[in-house]
Amino acid sequence: MLYRLLVEPFGFPFMARALTEAMLLGVLGGVVSVAVVLRRFAFVSDALTHTVFPGVVIGFMVAGAGGIVWGALVFAVFSAVLLTVLSSNRRVTEDATLAILLTGFFSVGVVLVSRRSSYTADLTAFLFGRILTVDRREILETAVVTVLVLAVLAVLGKELLLRAFDPDGSAALGYRVGLLDLALNVMVALVVVAAVKAVGTLLVIALLVVPAAAARLLTDRLALLVGASVLVGVLGGWLGLAVSYHASVYYGLRLASGATVVLALVALYAVAFAVGSARRMVSHHAPAAERA
Amino acid sequence: MAEPTLPLTPPPALHFEHASVAYGRTPVVEAVHGDVHPGEAVALIGPNGAGKSTLIKAVLGLVPVVGGRITVLGRAPAQARRDVAYIPQADTLDPEFPVSAGQVVLMGRYRRIGWVRRPGRADRRAAAEALDAVGLADKAGDRFGTLSGGQRQRVLLARAIAQLPLLLLLDEPFNGVDAVSQDALLDALGSLRAGGAAVVVSTHDLALAHLACDEVCLLNRHQFAFGPTAQALTPTLLRAAYGGHALVTDDVVVAQ
Repeated sequence: MLYRLLVEPFGFPFMARALTEAMLLGVLGGVVSVAVVLRRFAFVSDALTHTVFPGVVIGFMVAGAGGIVWGALVFAVFSAVLLTVLSSNRRVTEDATLAILLTGFFSVGVVLVSRRSSYTADLTAFLFGRILTVDRREILETAVVTVLVLAVLAVLGKELLLRAFDPDGSAALGYRVGLLDLALNVMVALVVVAAVKAVGTLLVIALLVVPAAAARLLTDRLALLVGASVLVGVLGGWLGLAVSYHASVYYGLRLASGATVVLALVALYAVAFAVGSARRMVSHHAPAAERA
Repeated sequence: MAEPTLPLTPPPALHFEHASVAYGRTPVVEAVHGDVHPGEAVALIGPNGAGKSTLIKAVLGLVPVVGGRITVLGRAPAQARRDVAYIPQADTLDPEFPVSAGQVVLMGRYRRIGWVRRPGRADRRAAAEALDAVGLADKAGDRFGTLSGGQRQRVLLARAIAQLPLLLLLDEPFNGVDAVSQDALLDALGSLRAGGAAVVVSTHDLALAHLACDEVCLLNRHQFAFGPTAQALTPTLLRAAYGGHALVTDDVVVAQ
């Protein structure tokens, strides 16, 4: 039964490719979401997912499917820099700046798509992705981004941790807080670029927040947090694909695979929430529990 | 670079020369003038909004000096950060953040460790010794946020100790701190001073200023006094700095 649910679907090459892509994204999202959640960067990440959208559209219009990554990359870096610069102005608060950027960029994308005859089909693909049609080259692109982001985290990991925990303290030690924020912005943008083909610009935010948020409910230890977050990311991708395959093949239900992956992630979050709450209740009742 | 001449006495750890500091165009603190020598401790005293935190940020080179000069260990403030430790108020930090006390102390070593590299054995030993110096050796594995306010403040002092600083800047370290932690903080500060470090403590607790420091800088937007505690904390000067909000009796002064 479990074999049939979790292994059998991936005998098909297109499903195997989708699984490879989902696993890579699970690792990538699992790691980066820890940085996002610790830095309380969820809304910033959400804004970035929207500002990349016009880049996706322009890339597609200029060079077809192969241009999507490059268009997204250009807009990702551009909006990451713009975001860092604009949010250093104290007169307008960061959330207002984000809202302006988010809707402004997003509208540019929608206006551009609306000029095309295949408006609805294109829009759907850009917003929600098509993980079942990813090819070798796209998997390779995701792998390259994953290696790149892991390398950046290897260089900056402990500094980003310090910055998230104690911004004044890190500035006092001589770290350029603005540059560390830019680095995280760029990393988030790279995840969006890597994930846009598979899950689309709207759903990628789930990948950037849910794994670490779920892991955070289960542990206080940083090392375990990263591991658990990656596990949630990978498991979500696997379960989501398996479920959407079964629903379609055995029950005639066509579920959008990208969205099913997101639902699997959210379901894992719900499980983590239940387990975490249960554990806290047990430790409250335990006589030897020491609470500060 | 070789020094052309050797000075006869070591330069002050911290030198204010009619210094004014400002956020944007508005001066926050003006006319601060005085020296803090190695091994000395100075209390920054003044009501809320007097500019104590801003002055500390200026010593770190994070707020610009718009008039006069601040020299830290003979250097411009931003050039001295490696040898200066800043200890923020513990309650400004998120208690839910998933780091252990030991990990927080290790952060004091990050600049020495450098980019890419992970903390080594020497760093872990330094962190363990620093945690021991504030009496919390047994709490290394506890999550920072589960400790009491006083213990958290001691962990932050341990982080500063692990940094091996020549100058320590503490922002209201005794706020909401229980007696045990207060004694531990005072002990640790005493050892640091005996080792030659200079200490600046901002506080509005005059009794603690007496206990922790031998000099006082009395501030409210500008300097009212800078000198030995007994001379700087007179009823007249306190009333002037606190604008009549200080309750002054024969020998007890309570600032509000």
